[in-house]
Amino acid sequence: MAALTTTFALETQDLTRTFGEGAGTVQALAGVDLAFPRGSFTAVMGPSGSGKSTFLSCVAGIDRPSAGRVLLAGTDVTSWDEDRLARLRRRRIGFVFQDFQLMPYLTAEQNVGLPWRLSGRRPDRARVRGLLDRVGLADRAHHLPARLSGGQRQRVAIARALVAEPDVILADEPTGALDSATARGVLALLRACVDELGQTVVMVTHDPVAAAYADTVVFLVDGRVAGRIEAPTVDAVAARQAHLDEQAVSR
Amino acid sequence: MTGMTGMTGLALRSLRHRLTASVATFLAVLFGTVLIGAFATLAETAFAIDGVTAEQEADQETLTIMGIVVGSWGTVIVLFAVASTVGITAARRAGEIGLLRTIGATPRQARRLICREALAVAVCGALIGAVLAAGVGWLLLDLLRGELVASSVEFRGGPASVGAAAALVTLTSAVAAAIAARRATRGPASLTLRESEAETGRMRWYRVAVALLLIGYGVGLGAVTIFVMADSDDPYAAMQTSGSSSILVGVGFAMLAPALLRWVSAPAARLLARVGGRGAGYLAAYNTSRRAHRLASVLAPVIVLTSGAIGTLMLVSIDSRTLAGTGDYEETVNLLNNVVVGMVSLFAAIMVVNAFAAGTADRRAELRRLWLLGGTPAQIRRSLAVEAGIVAAVGLVVGTLGSLATIVPFSIARDEGVVPDAQLWIPAVIAVAVVLLVLTAARVAARATIRVAVQEVR
Ligand SMILES: Nc1ncnc2c1ncn2[C@@H]1O[C@H](COP(=O)(O)OP(=O)(O)OP(=O)(O)O)[C@@H](O)[C@H]1O
Ligand SMILES: [Mg+2]
Repeated sequence: MAALTTTFALETQDLTRTFGEGAGTVQALAGVDLAFPRGSFTAVMGPSGSGKSTFLSCVAGIDRPSAGRVLLAGTDVTSWDEDRLARLRRRRIGFVFQDFQLMPYLTAEQNVGLPWRLSGRRPDRARVRGLLDRVGLADRAHHLPARLSGGQRQRVAIARALVAEPDVILADEPTGALDSATARGVLALLRACVDELGQTVVMVTHDPVAAAYADTVVFLVDGRVAGRIEAPTVDAVAARQAHLDEQAVSR
Repeated sequence: MTGMTGMTGLALRSLRHRLTASVATFLAVLFGTVLIGAFATLAETAFAIDGVTAEQEADQETLTIMGIVVGSWGTVIVLFAVASTVGITAARRAGEIGLLRTIGATPRQARRLICREALAVAVCGALIGAVLAAGVGWLLLDLLRGELVASSVEFRGGPASVGAAAALVTLTSAVAAAIAARRATRGPASLTLRESEAETGRMRWYRVAVALLLIGYGVGLGAVTIFVMADSDDPYAAMQTSGSSSILVGVGFAMLAPALLRWVSAPAARLLARVGGRGAGYLAAYNTSRRAHRLASVLAPVIVLTSGAIGTLMLVSIDSRTLAGTGDYEETVNLLNNVVVGMVSLFAAIMVVNAFAAGTADRRAELRRLWLLGGTPAQIRRSLAVEAGIVAAVGLVVGTLGSLATIVPFSIARDEGVVPDAQLWIPAVIAVAVVLLVLTAARVAARATIRVAVQEVR
């Protein structure tokens, strides 16, 4: 059993997150069991408020689950203290945010090396340059974020997420703030991280086109897993999405 | 016309949502008006005395010196404090103004919003301040009566003096807001929105010009002290010219704060990266050099505080050694000088605390970002502490340099040579006090902000 568990880069067991108390209680996650194999690309979809962001936050140690467990490469990290969770975020998880979250006073190159700096180490220059090259920004290494376009900033953020060779890359609507052409570039990049670097990617999205880049699509509704599609196509995802929306409306 | 009322309505509504930010402006204007106004009432009282007898003439002179000389030193500080507080408050709105403009507000409307908001707060502060100023002025005169002026002198401060003080402070706020508003609305809307995070903070030519003018004027007064006033028969002539030099030069240096920070921190970045452990110094160094204009709002009052306090206290020290036991008049002058030091220090200290509170609170999103990326709260705190250390160090060096504009000329004029004869521990004591103030203000602000930043979601 132990050997089996560790083939998953990330696993959640009965993950539950409740906000508020008494009558105003919101159950953002109501027992989510999911396992993400190493080297897989998974899209998480669902209506607004279905718990997607909460799921990523709980996994990354930004939020604490009310119940259940989070296993990262087989290690239970649920009860880790804040400092250990911080180290986890800079070494074993790469987070890509909808709004990039670059430090405004650091250049592209310095932003990519930041997780190493936070660990008190000097970034490996060749590696940082190599990653910037990979995301097509070798010539922008010394630019500050304010001088980069949205797509360029998101590519810097992806390079930063890759720099520590994390167990899993978590992306919350990474293309939500980008136009469709730029978004395709970012999605292709995430796909390449999986195919060429063997990374594991979990991406929240509302866009069927984005979801079709993934190997698997998981649907969340009201904090529960409400279905999945393997080898998704845009049409299949859109149809399922419409179906779930109808259910949500009729409820 | 509807556009105008619309903007006023928006200004009032947005004001209510920004009470905490407005508090700083309000307090600066209020205290500023009280200080300037109180001394102005003494001057007004002096004018009202009919100088018939010799005694009346002496009273008139004492009150005039107090009102005008001390008042004008204070005025420099107060106006500087008010202008920079209003500037900080308005600059904090840059992002929001960019947003308003992208949804269709014209630059004019955005400017009006900033200016009306500042003006509304300033008028409230100035009105209340004017009333308090009359009271404080009366108290001041009461303290002096029977001691330094005749008991028969009647308080004559009225609308003219406190009104003028209120008007001056309000006008300064309005001008500062207008300048900040222009800054915030220069260029296309998208630019303001984007650059609000990484504004380069280049200084405008007029800012550099005013700064150099103040420094030049202060140094010039020093030169006059050495070459002209030192030979005067009046022992206080030298004090009149050199007394305010340190404050003038300090304010001049303070206006150049962004450039000073850039010059110091950019070459020192590599060295600083080793301080504080685990990336703390690294982050501090780059934030300081690349966003110098933000940290400058904290550095500026530190420079003025250091320069003014060291300069004036050393002046008092030299004066009491070289003119020992000449009587009442000397005591008055000493008292006045101590009042100035008190005013300068109090005002600058309030500004330091305020600037740290505002500056750190504004960085909540950015500090949260560090936490999201795996920085521990302790690490983020340390990085802010290193920044505060840079501010304290630069502030002390530059501030001490500024204080020399008073110390050296006055020391030479009173025949103590370039270096005063005694009490050289005064600068050291002030340095320690300033460092403690800066580090404590930074620490309190950092703790509060980081706690909120980290708990935003949970
Ligand atoms: N800090 C919080 N306090 C209270 N309720 C919260 C908090 N964060 C999230 N929620 C609630 O939890 C539920 C799930 O929120 P979550 O942000 O995970 O949704 P989401 O699926 O990411 O939605 P979207 O697609 O709109 O981003 C929502 O009902 C939300 O109101
Ligand atoms: Mg979300």
